[in-house]
Amino acid sequence: MKVTSLRVPKQGNAPDECEDAAHVVADDDGPVLAAVADGASESLLAGQWAELLAKTVADAARDDDRVLRDVDRFASALVDAGEAWRAWLDDYVAEREAAGRPIAWYEEPKLDRGAHATVLAARFDTDPSGVTRWDVAALGDSCLFHTRDEKLRQAFPISSAGAFDNAPGLVNAFNRDQALLARHARAVSGTGERGDGFFLCTDALAAWFLRAADGGDRPWHVLGEFTRTGDLDGFTTWLAAARAEGLMRNDDVTVVHVDLR
Amino acid sequence: MTYAAEISRANPSCFVFLVDQSASMNDPIGGGRQRKADVVADALNRLLAELSVKCAKEEGVRDYFHVAVIGYGHAVGSAFTGPLAGRDLVPLSQVADQPARVEKRTKKVPDGAGGLVETTTRFPVWVDPVAHGATPMCRALATAESLVSDWVARHPDSFPPIVLNLTDGESTDGDPAGAAWAVQTHVTADGAALLFNLHVSAANTVPVTFPDTDVALPDTYARTLFGMSSLLPPHMRFYALQQGLQVGDLARGFCYNADITTLVQFLDIGTRATDLR
Repeated sequence: MKVTSLRVPKQGNAPDECEDAAHVVADDDGPVLAAVADGASESLLAGQWAELLAKTVADAARDDDRVLRDVDRFASALVDAGEAWRAWLDDYVAEREAAGRPIAWYEEPKLDRGAHATVLAARFDTDPSGVTRWDVAALGDSCLFHTRDEKLRQAFPISSAGAFDNAPGLVNAFNRDQALLARHARAVSGTGERGDGFFLCTDALAAWFLRAADGGDRPWHVLGEFTRTGDLDGFTTWLAAARAEGLMRNDDVTVVHVDLR
Repeated sequence: MTYAAEISRANPSCFVFLVDQSASMNDPIGGGRQRKADVVADALNRLLAELSVKCAKEEGVRDYFHVAVIGYGHAVGSAFTGPLAGRDLVPLSQVADQPARVEKRTKKVPDGAGGLVETTTRFPVWVDPVAHGATPMCRALATAESLVSDWVARHPDSFPPIVLNLTDGESTDGDPAGAAWAVQTHVTADGAALLFNLHVSAANTVPVTFPDTDVALPDTYARTLFGMSSLLPPHMRFYALQQGLQVGDLARGFCYNADITTLVQFLDIGTRATDLR
């Protein structure tokens, strides 16, 4: 199993302004965990929250294989991420004070509202016979695509390019309502075999992927060209062209490719 | 598709606020004790604060908008006080960083147990209430037109400029309809400049928000301002509906003795930070 990821900021933004996050855990002989999260542009510290969220959920899924099979357990992991965020935020505010740059009046209302992000995490567990069980859970519009041979077998949790908008379900770092989070979370499981591909994508890329697949193209080949070689420059150039042609919304882009070779 | 351009630092848009500072603004608003001048200054300061917060990131406020505040009364010109006095279009980051002062205000917020608790918030002030002189609304609109014209020439692909006029509607330098129309003739590739109006009136009648007809409006001033106001673009109508406002297909950017700060929530700068329900 080979796992690669690429992350490119919105056109016009610096790399450190990218508010997407990807986190991969791939220990020898253990399951592979991959997560992507997409911070909401209107939030403050959205990128930092996306990173913490992706890492916390991936780690939770590594430690307990039920986290991505059951929306209640997944929601519990989201609440745990929020608890970790509170501590992180206290440190952040203290550091700003210490640096002589206290929280400005225009930051206060957004900090009070909490940071928001989507999240999608997947676990891949291959048994000795070569069959890979996969489990994925998501809240929001980050997507997983499962491809085999020349076909898109599964698109989760969104299966239509028309279903994307600018108000997806989001995990607020201050949300401790596990039942509410569970109601908005989705989970699905399946099996994969050698040669299958899985792409975890944030929304702009996911919408392009679905539109291309609907049009009879094979977008997984396009992405695979870049992910297999880790060609960030090539991917960035290709994204710029796709955006310029109006094929993709200008947004941060992240893809994690899990290749069951 | 119009009114769909990305608003970003590379492709910013602009806001021109016009604020009536004439002597008639000394009168109280309908059904209340507050002077109209206090109401519009307060609305303007809240609009500037909301806009700054909307565009705030951890490194500061991003220049998604450039903002002018033009007062009209005994004179027509910049209504900023404090460090920005005399300036017209100012990048939003500078607006956010340079209010004349930041006041502390108390407000009541839910206490999480069904009650309310008083809390202190910081309230930046850029514009003070002024009520002095006549109401040269035509000249004010001409000033706005000049700023808009210059903006669209320099930013031909931007989301179109938005002009928001806060007034009691009693123009003293002629019928403002022609000057209002002139503002809206300036276009970018994304659509025509938008002119919205907030009418504050001494008449004690029901507040009106984004109406699609002038039949419920109480006087000629209100009907004139309604007629001068642009149609709300479809995405703004969508967000208004989402917020529970009753807006029809022909809703105009016009409010009568009502809160217009919600307008800021109609602007798209990326993924909205909305909570689950």
